[in-house]
Amino acid sequence: MTNHMLPPGFEDIEPFAADWALDTQDERYVKRRNSSAEEIRSFYDAMLRHIEKILDEVDRFPIGTLPESHRPLYAMALSLAEIAPHVELYRGNPLVPYSFEEGRMRSWHGDQPTWQGKRPSP
Amino acid sequence: MKDAAQFRWASKYPELGTGPISVEPCVSPAYFESEREKVFKRTWLKVGRVEEIPNAGDYKVKRIAVAGTSVIMIRTKEGAVRAFHNVCSHRGNTVVTETGEETFGSSRAAVLTCRFHGWVYDAQGALISVPEEERFYSCFVKADNGLTPIHVDVWEGFIFINLAPRPEQNLKDYLGGYGDHFAGFPYGALDYCFTYYTYLDCNWKIAHDAFAEAYHVPTIHAGSFPNAFTTGLQNVELYGPHRTTAICLTLGAAATPVATLANKRARGSLVAKAGSNMLPPTINPDRREDFAFELSVTFPNFLLHVAEGIWFTHQFWPISHNKTLWEGKYYLAAPKTYSERWALEHAQVLQRNAWLEDTATMEATQSAMESGTKHYIHLQDEEILIRHGYHILDRYMAAE
Repeated sequence: MTNHMLPPGFEDIEPFAADWALDTQDERYVKRRNSSAEEIRSFYDAMLRHIEKILDEVDRFPIGTLPESHRPLYAMALSLAEIAPHVELYRGNPLVPYSFEEGRMRSWHGDQPTWQGKRPSP
Repeated sequence: MKDAAQFRWASKYPELGTGPISVEPCVSPAYFESEREKVFKRTWLKVGRVEEIPNAGDYKVKRIAVAGTSVIMIRTKEGAVRAFHNVCSHRGNTVVTETGEETFGSSRAAVLTCRFHGWVYDAQGALISVPEEERFYSCFVKADNGLTPIHVDVWEGFIFINLAPRPEQNLKDYLGGYGDHFAGFPYGALDYCFTYYTYLDCNWKIAHDAFAEAYHVPTIHAGSFPNAFTTGLQNVELYGPHRTTAICLTLGAAATPVATLANKRARGSLVAKAGSNMLPPTINPDRREDFAFELSVTFPNFLLHVAEGIWFTHQFWPISHNKTLWEGKYYLAAPKTYSERWALEHAQVLQRNAWLEDTATMEATQSAMESGTKHYIHLQDEEILIRHGYHILDRYMAAE
């Protein structure tokens, strides 16, 4: 693969980009529930090593102006936010244990591309 | 067993009693029909925030299934908020075409135009234009055919309506000491709001009750908030039909790696310790170090919580005796950078998960109650807010 989705310096996490660079919370919510415990864990381990560097990198741009080159990188950081509780709190379970049916809970902001920095409510 | 006098809240509020509570209000269709009239058509109901309709001509329409109507809230050119039933005086169509539970729109001229035949109303509700007006008979008087108004008032930026033809109290008197207790928090400045919602197959009070105590935290939130909050309440205060308490942190829980990074970047998590700089002096009056958030109920169906840098609400809109629309809203300061936005994503995703844990029991509770097996439920002293809720509901239901 020569077709890189991420800026230089993030080659380590490039193998995860195709699966986890998801722009909206709804997409990340579905992806997490459809992943295995192993998939979540390996993504978490790889991302944890880079997350501070990613956040500093995206902070070079004012909110709402993230260039296309950095959108997959930021979307992966947001996927880490989505799956972190499952690794850190739920013993690797990709679902929220003992919960309401996750697919029935809806959000107003779920289909917004998060990088756009729009308000999450009217 | 100990006497009521030996319990903190039973001794502070002896009028609430200590006995078991009937399940009938949660399972009886007849009781629900009476609640519609005696509670939801008589009390002040929170239906919005002023930030949702910031400019003249901005409007919001919200369905109020329990009252069988929809309310239009519109900002007038003078800056006031007015409310009307969403019903045209001509043929009874909805004036604003609704696209769901809530519909938003804006009219530069601050008018509402019915799509059916083009009747136009201004933001004061007056009927100002009727196409082919000359073809109506003399019994039709334009001035008598404005939109039907609904009593509306604003407190701390919250828009409330009252569906009674003549409300027994104005909003200020209805809120009373509760309104004073919660005044002065910067609700409008923390206006970055994440909204979740779902339909629950349970009575609205089962949903309400599940959120109105901290006794459930060690079991229900063993996943998302392990060892985070204490189960005992602090500073319980009852204000007429309304109620409030402080919820405290254990201060013993260590943050996980990603949570630690998120907490460094932005304030978004209830379990991260914070000061009390934004809190009015009525909230956490002793400035306890372990204060997490204030949990309160605005009777009948609105839960308001405030914390340093965070506030959040639950609202339970009855649809039938065993169906409820739940709305959860989590308000934070708008992020200034991408890393702050990321930190807020982490905090509110975890909060969403906690709400998935809270909502997990509700439908099962309803069906178990409907089995008729148990006629009563039992409440301990730290479930005092729930007891107060049924006590107040009894009073409203007994009123003429």
